[in-house]
Amino acid sequence: MSGSGAREAVFPTRQSLGLMKSKLKGAQTGHDLLKRKSEALTKRFREITRRIDEAKRKMGRVMQVAAFSLAEVTYAVGGDIGYQVQESAKSARFRVRTTQENVSGVFLPAFESYQTEGNNDFSLTGLGKGGQQVQRCRETYARAVEALVELASLQTAFVTLDEVIKVVNRRVNAIEHVIIPRTENTIKYINSELDELDREEFYRLKKVSGKKERDAHAAELERAEDKDAAMRKEKASEAERHDMLGEEGNEDVIF
Amino acid sequence: MAVPPSQYKDREFIAVIGDEDSVTGLLLAGIGHVTQPPDSQKNFLVVDAKTDTAAIEEAFERFTERKDIAIVLINQHIAERIRFRVDNYTAAFPSLLEIPSKDHPYDPEKDSVLRRVRRLFGE
Amino acid sequence: MEGLFYNVSNGYVEGIVRGYRNALLTGQSYNNLTQCETIDDIKLQLGPAYGDFLAALPPNPSTSALANKTTDKLVSEFRYLQANATGSLAKFMEYLTYGYMIDNVALLITGTLHERDTRELLERCHPLGWFETMPVLCVATNIEELYNSVLIETPLAPYFKGSLSHQDLDELNIEIIRNTLYKNYLEDFYDFVRTHDDIAGSPTAEVMAEVLEFEADRRSINITLNSFGTELSKQDRKKLYPNFGKLYPEGILMLSRADDVEGVRIAVDGVSDYKNFFDQTGLGQASAGGIGNMAGGMGTDGRSLEDMFYQKEMEISKIAFTRQFTHAVVYAWVKLREQEIRNITWIAECIAQNQKERIGNYISVF
Repeated sequence: MSGSGAREAVFPTRQSLGLMKSKLKGAQTGHDLLKRKSEALTKRFREITRRIDEAKRKMGRVMQVAAFSLAEVTYAVGGDIGYQVQESAKSARFRVRTTQENVSGVFLPAFESYQTEGNNDFSLTGLGKGGQQVQRCRETYARAVEALVELASLQTAFVTLDEVIKVVNRRVNAIEHVIIPRTENTIKYINSELDELDREEFYRLKKVSGKKERDAHAAELERAEDKDAAMRKEKASEAERHDMLGEEGNEDVIF
Repeated sequence: MAVPPSQYKDREFIAVIGDEDSVTGLLLAGIGHVTQPPDSQKNFLVVDAKTDTAAIEEAFERFTERKDIAIVLINQHIAERIRFRVDNYTAAFPSLLEIPSKDHPYDPEKDSVLRRVRRLFGE
Repeated sequence: MEGLFYNVSNGYVEGIVRGYRNALLTGQSYNNLTQCETIDDIKLQLGPAYGDFLAALPPNPSTSALANKTTDKLVSEFRYLQANATGSLAKFMEYLTYGYMIDNVALLITGTLHERDTRELLERCHPLGWFETMPVLCVATNIEELYNSVLIETPLAPYFKGSLSHQDLDELNIEIIRNTLYKNYLEDFYDFVRTHDDIAGSPTAEVMAEVLEFEADRRSINITLNSFGTELSKQDRKKLYPNFGKLYPEGILMLSRADDVEGVRIAVDGVSDYKNFFDQTGLGQASAGGIGNMAGGMGTDGRSLEDMFYQKEMEISKIAFTRQFTHAVVYAWVKLREQEIRNITWIAECIAQNQKERIGNYISVF
C-alpha cells in the first residue's frame, strides 16, 4: 500500500490513473524545461556578476579621475563652487531611459543614459575664472555617470535575475521534490488499489464460480438420480416387452 | 516574470546622497533636478559631518520611494552609516549604487551587492 | 619724494609684508612636499611655515581642512596688517577685500534667491571678504528687501548702483551679477590707485596699474572663452569687460565680436604676452580640439591658459617686491599666498588621490 508519502486525494479509478500518468509526464517535461531555463539564467547571472565585479572596480577608478577633475576646478576657480552648483541645479540634463531586454523569457531592465539638449544650468559657472576647468570637469563627470548608469543597469539585472532564478529554482525543486513524488505516489496508490480491487474481484468470481460449480454439480446429481429412476422404470417396462420379440439370445449371423 | 512597465517607465532621474564634492561633481554632470514648486523636491542630499543619520535615512527613504528616480547613488562611507537599511534594500527599482568618494576610496568588501554576490557563490 | 615719507606711516607694514614674503614656500619646499606619501607627511613638511595653524588638525586631515587652515593663517596675518595700516594703505587694503566680498555677496544672493537659511552660508563665506554688516544680509528674506535695505549699507553699494536693479538680481544669472560687480570693482580700484592723492604718481600706482590691467584682461579673455556655447549674448558679454587694460579698447572691441577661440586669439594678438600664452597652449591653431588641452585629464604638456595666467600673475607679484615704498607689495603678497594655498591644496589632493603624475602642476616662483 502507498501509505508512505503524500498523495493526491483522488478516487482510485482507471480514469484518474490515466490523468495522473499524463500529469507525471507533464511534470517531467516541465521539470526538464525549467531546469534548462534555470541553467541558462544562471549562466547569464554569473556573467553579470562577473561584469558587476569588473564594473565596480572600474567605477572606483573612474570616480577617482572625476574627483580629481573637481580638484582641478577648485584649483582654477580658487574657491568653492559647491554651494553655487547646488543652488543652480534646476532641471536634469542627464537622464536615464529604462528599457527591457529579453533573456530566456525574462525581461531584464536596462538603463540607458541620455543628455537632454539645451538646458544647461551651469554654463556660466566659473565665467570669470576656471570656466574651462568647470566644463572639463562636467565632461569627466558625465562620463563617470555614464559608467555608473551602466553599472546600475547590471546591478538591476542582477537583482531581477536573482529574483527570477530563485523563483525558477523554487519551481524546479517543487516539481522535483514535491509534485513528481506525489504524482508517482498517487499512481502507485491507484495501481495498488486497482490491483487490490482486481484480486478481490478475482476471488469473488472464483467464489461465485465455485458456488456455481457446486450448484451445478448438485443439479447434475439430482438430474442423474432422476434419470436413474426413469431408467429403472423403463427397464422394467422393457423387460415386459423383451419376450415379445424373442430374439435376444440369437447369435449374430456372420457371413 | 517581467516587471510591469508601470514600475519603471517614468523613472528618468538619478538621485544622489553624498559628500559635497561628490554631489557637486554629479550635479555638474547634469543630474540635478528640482521638481516644480511648491514642493520643490531636490534629488540630491549633501551629507557632511554634521548631518545626522536620521536625515540620511529620511532622504534614502524618500529617494527610494519616489516614482521618477531610476538610480540612487550613495557614497560608500555614507552607506556605512545606514548599512542596515542599505543591506535590507533589495528592490530592483530604483537601483541602488554605492559609489566611492574623494576621501574614501572604494572598498568592494563593504558593498551590499558585491557581498550578496559573494554569498551566492559561497566565497 | 614719495620715498621720503613713506616709511613714516607705512614702513612697519611694509617691513612685515616683506618678512611674510620671505616665509613663502620656495621651490625646494615644494620639492619636499611632492615627495610626501601621506597628508600627514605634508603636515610635517609644512610645520615650519604653518606650525600653529596645522596643529589642531586631526591625523590625515582632508585636503579641504588643510586648505581651510592654511587660509586661516593668511587671514590672521592680513588682519594683523590691516590693524596696523593707516591712511591710504588702510583704504588700499580695504579695496583688496572687496573682491572677496563680491564672492560672499554673490553667495548670499544665491541663498536668498532660493530661500535658504542664509545664516548657514556665513561660514562658507571667504573670511577676507567679511564685513561688519554681512550678517545683516541674512535678515533679508527676499531679493527686493536685500537690495533696498541691506546691500545699500555694504561697501559694495556703489558697484550695484547704476548697473544692477533689484529685478536684475532676480532675473540674471548669479555669475553675470558677480562679474558685473567685479568689473565695477576693478574699474573703481583702478581709478583709486591712479587718482588717490597719496598714491597717484607713486610706484604703487605704477605697479598696481599693471596688476589690475592684467587682471582686467584676464577676466575679459576668460569671460569670452567661457561664454562660447552659452546663452550669454554678445551685448551682455560686452558689459562684463572692464573698461581698461592692455586690451582696451581695440582688443576688447574685438573680443566682444569674437565667435570662437580663433577670434579671441586675433583679439589678443596685439599684446605679446597673451599671444604667447595662446601659442603655448595650442589655442593658436584653429584646429585645437577645444579650450585648453587637458581634456580627459590634462594633456602632455599639462599647461592650460588658466595656468599661464596664474603663472603670469605670480611673476608680476614677484616683481612687485623689487619696488620699494609701495602698497602693491601687500597685494602681491596676498596673491602669492593664495597661490601657495592653492599649490598646497593641489599637492595634497594629488597625494590623497594617488595622482602623482600631475603633482608637478603647481606654480612656484621663488
